Amino acid sequence: MIDQFPQTDDLDRQIAEALADDARLSFRKIAADLGVTEGTVRGRVKRLQNAGLLKLVPIVDIARGMDATNAGQHMMFVTVKCASGKLDAVREGLLALPQVRALYDANAALRLIAVCVLPSLDEAAAVTNQVLALDGIREAETELVLQTVKYNAAIGPIATVEDLRGLDSVDEG
Amino acid sequence: MAEDKPTTRRSKGLALDDIDLRIIEVLKRDGRAQSTVIGEELGLTGNLVANRIRAMDAAGLMRVVALADFRVHGYRLLARIRLQVSGRAPLEVAQELAEREHVLSVHITSGRYPVSCLYAFHAAREMIEAARDVSAGIAGVEDVDVELLNTVYRYNTAVGPLAA
Repeated sequence: MIDQFPQTDDLDRQIAEALADDARLSFRKIAADLGVTEGTVRGRVKRLQNAGLLKLVPIVDIARGMDATNAGQHMMFVTVKCASGKLDAVREGLLALPQVRALYDANAALRLIAVCVLPSLDEAAAVTNQVLALDGIREAETELVLQTVKYNAAIGPIATVEDLRGLDSVDEG
Repeated sequence: MAEDKPTTRRSKGLALDDIDLRIIEVLKRDGRAQSTVIGEELGLTGNLVANRIRAMDAAGLMRVVALADFRVHGYRLLARIRLQVSGRAPLEVAQELAEREHVLSVHITSGRYPVSCLYAFHAAREMIEAARDVSAGIAGVEDVDVELLNTVYRYNTAVGPLAA
């Protein structure tokens, strides 16, 4: 499934890199820097966005919080092993939690890894309780992030399974 | 608009206020929306919106970034690699790990594996070599746990450690 991705080339990568730190940079400037037309840059960005491979979004600093209270947010990783046959139900249960900002499965789908963002430790406790109460969880592990040593917002597992489904239908056409 | 004037400067140096949050909401729909267009929607001047976006960026509070899938960068596999550490501060291990080019992020956590990173690879062979190399090549690493990410069900990071 991973190999069914649309081919991307050096120009796609260069455009993504040019926009990485400032997604509002003018396409005209990027085009001039890369020696292509503005229309090419616009078209490439559109194509990558439609494929779910590129997202131009605001990121708020986790240390400063999401609102005027200026309180920082906490990040917590939740890793669960599911009882056999319960993976889908547990996954839906995790997706129902708004605090779950990212969700992956790992190691041939035997584990689910959720990244949660939480306004307080009380909320971390609440989410932990909600997760452990889900039917079908065999083992769960929660890890609070104490310190971030390196973080690269510009590269990640961005394209979701839904983005991939969309691609199938586009490619058929 | 006259009523824009008093709110142009933020009340507290490093906090987001209501206007900032409303601008961010529009940017979530379209990160490249023009300041004048955002202003029209919110009843603010384009200048005010542009200044706010610039100020949030300069203060390190908010940035409009391009998140690219790892495949756009030529990677084929992504793994979470976690390390158990003994006889050495986890921070030192984490810093050594962070120097590696294909390590995208490194966190210190409260769990059994105090060092947790996201590592990108061009091929499966690289992943095996990296796991071996991390356990043999970094002092203090007691155990290595490798989890190959398969499917992404959600990716919605509205916040991130911008200062790291």
